[in-house]
Amino acid sequence: MITLSNVSKTYSTGAVAMDDISLSIDKGEFVFIVGPSGAGKSTLMKMLLLEESPDKGDLIVNGHDLRELPKKKIPYLRRSMGVIFQDYRLLPDKTVYENVAFAMRIVEASRREMKQNIEKVLGLVGLKHKAKSFPAQLSGGEQQRVAIARAIVNNPVIVIADEPTGNLDPENSWEIMNIFEEINKSGTTIVMATHDKTIVDRMRRRVIALEKGKIIRDEAKGGYGDED
Amino acid sequence: MKIRTSLYLMKEAFVSLKRNALMSFASISTVAVSLLVLGAFGILGLNMGYMVSALESKVEVTAYMQDSVEGDALTQAEADIRAVSGVSEVTFVTKTEALSRFRERLGDQASMLEALDDQNPLPNAFEIKVDNPELVKPTAQAIEQMAGVETVKYGSEIVDQLFQMTKILRILGLVLLGFLVFATLFIISNTIRLTVFARRKEIGIMKYVGATNAFIRLPFLMEGMILGSVGGGVAAVALYYAYSALLYEVHQVLAFLYLVPLHPFIYIIGGALVGIGMLIGAIGSAISLSRYMDV
Repeated sequence: MITLSNVSKTYSTGAVAMDDISLSIDKGEFVFIVGPSGAGKSTLMKMLLLEESPDKGDLIVNGHDLRELPKKKIPYLRRSMGVIFQDYRLLPDKTVYENVAFAMRIVEASRREMKQNIEKVLGLVGLKHKAKSFPAQLSGGEQQRVAIARAIVNNPVIVIADEPTGNLDPENSWEIMNIFEEINKSGTTIVMATHDKTIVDRMRRRVIALEKGKIIRDEAKGGYGDED
Repeated sequence: MKIRTSLYLMKEAFVSLKRNALMSFASISTVAVSLLVLGAFGILGLNMGYMVSALESKVEVTAYMQDSVEGDALTQAEADIRAVSGVSEVTFVTKTEALSRFRERLGDQASMLEALDDQNPLPNAFEIKVDNPELVKPTAQAIEQMAGVETVKYGSEIVDQLFQMTKILRILGLVLLGFLVFATLFIISNTIRLTVFARRKEIGIMKYVGATNAFIRLPFLMEGMILGSVGGGVAAVALYYAYSALLYEVHQVLAFLYLVPLHPFIYIIGGALVGIGMLIGAIGSAISLSRYMDV
């Protein structure tokens, strides 16, 4: 699903963000990316979102070699991915329903398909009754659930989440994690960057730990870190 | 792209225009003022052209003969002139007739002619009408070459002066057009830059859910086109009223001026302004998008 081979990335400031990283994530995996700030987590996430390209090495996402993919094709590859951010990134002047519909308008889904899928994903995140609410009327946890609904409404094969629980209290965080588990169960690959030690320790999923641009640990059923 | 998608994007463009109402108003006003000036110049220039051709069609060529040409030679000359292509009518005006006409025209001041002491300084002349106004000049030149012809006049001074003015007007108009287009492009691209900024979050989300560049750009392009064409429309309406008022006034006071009639002239001008506005709007937002939107 996702393969990085000997990927390096140095920013023009001279900061080394990724130093000869190789990793492979299979279909249906649930992977946590952990590590301190500046370890290269966000660069890795940006690379998976096709925002940054490697200086050296190969990046293959969903069967497409990024080196050979024309820039124009990138939007189409992104449609096979769902993205979730720490700050939700909802459109404040659109309702919950419209925020989710937004993702489907872009792929020019039919009206019927749109209604069906949106109802399904809003049901999955438990927000059917809030379809007509605006983001400002929702709690942080609810807003993040809308963002998840939007990320999965087009049936992506990979979901990429960057600190999805970073702004949430433990209770809401668990609710979000349950939804991710649910999504993962249907075969969707999930890659999540997080700082949340409790979640990583309790979930017992694959953990890839980065430090100074290198992979220092890659465990199938790992915890957040042994250092503490 | 599906029609439904286009409609959705169109709606988004209008929503954005409303959201930045003040800026939209400012750019529509700028476009309107620029295109108003442009349209006024256009109308002025086209009217000058119209006047030139109207005057030309009224122009008569007069050939003044040398005094030495008399009798049969005059008859021969008349026949020769008739033979020139484009000549439709030739009237012979004798020295005597010319003098009496002159006397008539002088009216009260005819006594001035007494100073001539019965001499007649006026030449014999042929008044020539030409089929086609465009032929006035070549016909006049051809006749001037003939033997016995002293000079040929055809009111060329007025026509030439009008031509000259039209030329100056055209150059002035082009320079002004350059400035106005520049100003309009600037304000529209600036407005679009602000909307791009206001909607950067939305653009980011669109990018992540896999929107193509065209999809992201279209609403902004439409926005620019709406700004431009509405500005053009305002200018067109203003010019319609201004020009019909002008025609009315001119008709009252200076009925002899030949102005282009209101219909369909003003609709063509109006349509052109809306079209130019739309084009400028599209270019303006395209400039802004290529500079400020990294997708």
